[in-house]
Order: sequence, then C-alpha cells, then structure tokens
Amino acid sequence: MILKMENIIKRFNENLALDYLSLDAEEGEVIGLLGPNGAGKTTCIKSIVGLLPVDEGEITVFGMKQDGKNKSIRRQIGFVTQDITIYENMTARENLAFFGSLYGLEKQVLKDRIEEVARIIGLEGRLDERPKYFSGGMKRRLNIGCSILHHPRLLIMDEPTVGIDPQSRNYILDFVEKVSAAGTTVIYTSHYIEEVEAIADRIFIMDQGHVIASGTLQELIARIKGDSHILVDIRLVSEEKKAELLTIADIKDVFIKDNQYHIIVPGGISIIDKIVAVLTPLGIVNVNSRQPNLEDVFLTLTGKQLRDEVE
Amino acid sequence: MIKFHLLRNGRDFIGHAILIFLPIVLLSIFNYIYSTNLFPIEVMVDSVEIPVILTIGFALTFQIYGSALSTETLAQDFLSPMRDRLLATPASPRKLIMSVLLTSIILSFLQTVVIVIFSMIIFEARFESLWAVLLVLLLSVIVNQLLGATILFLAKDAKTADAITTVYGTMTAICIELYFPLPDLRIFELLKKYLTPMSLARTAIIGIIKNNFQDILIGVLPLILIAVILFILLRPLSKKVII
Repeated sequence: MILKMENIIKRFNENLALDYLSLDAEEGEVIGLLGPNGAGKTTCIKSIVGLLPVDEGEITVFGMKQDGKNKSIRRQIGFVTQDITIYENMTARENLAFFGSLYGLEKQVLKDRIEEVARIIGLEGRLDERPKYFSGGMKRRLNIGCSILHHPRLLIMDEPTVGIDPQSRNYILDFVEKVSAAGTTVIYTSHYIEEVEAIADRIFIMDQGHVIASGTLQELIARIKGDSHILVDIRLVSEEKKAELLTIADIKDVFIKDNQYHIIVPGGISIIDKIVAVLTPLGIVNVNSRQPNLEDVFLTLTGKQLRDEVE
Repeated sequence: MIKFHLLRNGRDFIGHAILIFLPIVLLSIFNYIYSTNLFPIEVMVDSVEIPVILTIGFALTFQIYGSALSTETLAQDFLSPMRDRLLATPASPRKLIMSVLLTSIILSFLQTVVIVIFSMIIFEARFESLWAVLLVLLLSVIVNQLLGATILFLAKDAKTADAITTVYGTMTAICIELYFPLPDLRIFELLKKYLTPMSLARTAIIGIIKNNFQDILIGVLPLILIAVILFILLRPLSKKVII
C-alpha cells in the first residue's frame, strides 16, 4: 500500500478541519478527491505531504510514518500545487533544473530528464522561454513538469486544471492516465466532476473534514441508483415553490441551480404530473429526467453542487 | 541553487537600475551643489573630501534599500503558495534561505562597488586603503541583508518589511547628515557616529581613510557583533515561516 490515513484529526484552533478521516491508495491507482470548499481536501493533501502535522491518527506513506521530517518520503512524492508555483522570470528549463536539483538529481541525469519531461508536458521547443509569456495551460503543464522530474511514486495534484483551455486539460488528463499506467499513484482533487469521473479508479467524497463516501464510480452511483432525477427548467425560479415541492410525499430533495429545479425522487417518475402542477405557474420551459451520475451522488450526499462552490 | 538565485535575482533589472542609478544621480546632484559653491559649504566634512563623504553616505543608504533584494525574494518563496511547493521537497529550507541571502549579499555588494568606482572615475574621489573600505562596505551589506530578512520574518509581509527598511534607511541617512546638517547636539553627534549600523560603518570607513585605528575598531566590532546576533536570530525567526 502506498498511502494509508487512519482516523486523522486535525484542528485549527477550535475548527475541526479533518474529522476521523481515513483514506488509502494502492500502487498505480488514481484516487479522485471530491469535496466542496472547506471540505478539508487541501488539509488532507498537506498532511500527506508532511506540511501539516496532524493532531491524532496516523499517516503511513510508502510504509513509513509521515511525521513531516522524513526526507525519504518527500523524495518520492511529487506535489502539484493548486496555485501555479513556478518562477515566471526564469526559463522553463531553469525552472525544471531548479526543482530537479531540490530533489538531488545529478547534473547529467537532470539534463536528460528535463528533455524527457519537456516532451511529456508538451513544452519541447519552448524550454528556453520564460513562463511569463506562456498561456495559463502551458504554465500549468510546467507546474506539473517541475513535480515529476524525480519520478515520484506518489503524485499529488491539487486542482491542476483550474482556469485552463480544454486542450491543456485533456493533455493533463491523458498525462495522469499515462503515469498511473506506469505505476505512479495519483491523488487528484478537482472541482470538475467529469474529470474525476474520467480518470479516477476510486473516488473519495469529502465533506466537513471526513470521507462521506468512497468507492469506484459504479459503486458510488449504485448507492443512489433507486433515485430518479427530474430536471425542470423554469422562466423564473421561486424558493416558495421549492418548499411546496418538498411537501409532496414522494419527493426526496429539491435543489435550485440557475433557472432549474433539480428534483430527486425515489423510484420512478410517476409523480411528474404533481411536479408540473406545482411549477406550471412559473412557466415551464423544459422537463427532463435522467439516470444518476457522479454529480448526483455528490449532490445527494452533500446537499451541495460542486461547481457552484467555485463560481 | 546559488547559480539559480543569482540569475533570478539578477534579472530584476528595474530593481538593480534603481539601486545603482538613483544613488549615482543623487551623488552627482549633491556633488554639483557642493562644487559650484551655490551654498557656502566647506569642501571637507569630518576632514574628508566631499565626494568621498557623499559616496560613502549614498552607498550605505542604498545598501539598506537594497535589503529588498532578499526580502522580496524570501517573501516570494516563503510567504506565498511557493512555500508549500518548496517545503514539499527534500531540500533544506534553511539552505534555501541562506542561498537567497548569499546571492542578495553578492548583488548588493556589486551595486556598492559600482557606486564607488563611478565616484572614483567621475568625481576623482580618493579612497585610502580601498580594499579595507570595501571590506567594511561588505560587512555593512551583510548586516543590512540580515536585518531585512529579520524584519521580514517578524512582519511576515514584504510590503511592511520594505516600508520599515525604507523609513529606517531614510532616517539613518539623515542621522549621518547626508542630506543636511543637524543641530550641534551631543545626541546627534552620537547618532552620526555610533548609534546605527550605518553610522558605525561610516565611522569605520572614515577611520580607514584617516588612518584612525580606534575609529575602525569602534565601527567594525559592533557591526560584526550585530551581524552575528542577526544571523543567530534568523534561525528561530525563520521557523515562523518554514514550519
């Protein structure tokens, strides 16, 4: 096992950031970490890297206890920060050389590895340019490149695709699949559910400091499989109508997003006529129903829509 | 690591231009004022020629402003998201801090040397025992860079640290009567000669020029002591940002 976190508790003064959090990862696995803002994802990641000491529980990385001082653990971890942490005034090559040197790579090894990494991140031919002239996607890719020079066994990626173009996003997702196929374990946090759906072998959904559900995509969806999701587009939504909908016996939950009611109904959609009757005065534009996906799992378990947290 | 930081720090062209050209411009203006007899000013201050006194004053003043070289770099590395990135590596954070300080000391000293050479060529300023003068200027650079880092780690904010060092630099320059004479009071005499690191460096340099061994010791020994104390303080203070 590459990583094991058992009953981790981390407090910031009186606030409980991690509340009996347990998580594990096997070699070559891609772990998707999902959670709304403040769920504890970043605290969790920082604890794994050894940047934050935990108050209770134990973290084992590569079979060694993570106490924040173990350099052997750090040598084998690659950390892609949420913010782009590269030196904009230094060329891509100089950035890669610097971060590689921090991991103790020898000069010739580093030189060869820089060329190799440049190919992996698609920046060959741009190595001698400064990142301040790069696009957001190129900067993100260089940010990743700086974290993989030393062939990490565990790669932690904190929101690596924030604010980039679809082409660079696909590049990064392909990259994650390739490195995991080569045996690197990846812990991947994102606000984009479709990314986690696409690449994660197992998904951990966090809320308020602990894991509220975990498993493969299929396992998670199976948890809410009995529910139907009815989406009603309205000209003008109203909170009063939401309350009215919740009085209907068969409705499990109602969420409003933009001009849409997202209604969760256990079982089939036989009560659709009751829903239409309630919402007709608001001006129904469209009614749809669909099978649950990961976004619905997240919504059902946390009562929050992940993307809205970002927006 | 040092090569990287030298390159990184060296590419702050605007910062270097300010720290080299501004003292040279000020030096030229003040020297012009003195040389054209616009004001009835003596050609010697503390028995030293005006261009030499001005060069020492401006070089020492801009060394203090030059502490921004290390404060800004350290702030970029340890008071920003870069901190987590660097601390996640197996590299020693203390070594990272020391390499930033070392490169800032080298660059700030080179700026000082440019100012001294400019003054020697253009204003024919004569420095007795130039190597000894440069050694004191180097000691002063070390004190200023360490002081800048200390202020940064206490303030935990680059802008606050820069503001404090700017005010400190301006006040100490006034204390050594760089811009205008101060009233003939004992306290101002003490401030001018002994009570700030800048005045100690100035006293030591004037001591070298006038061959006054006592003044050299009075200036240099406390400066060494201050440098040692600041260096020792750096360890516990840096803990505030690297742990």
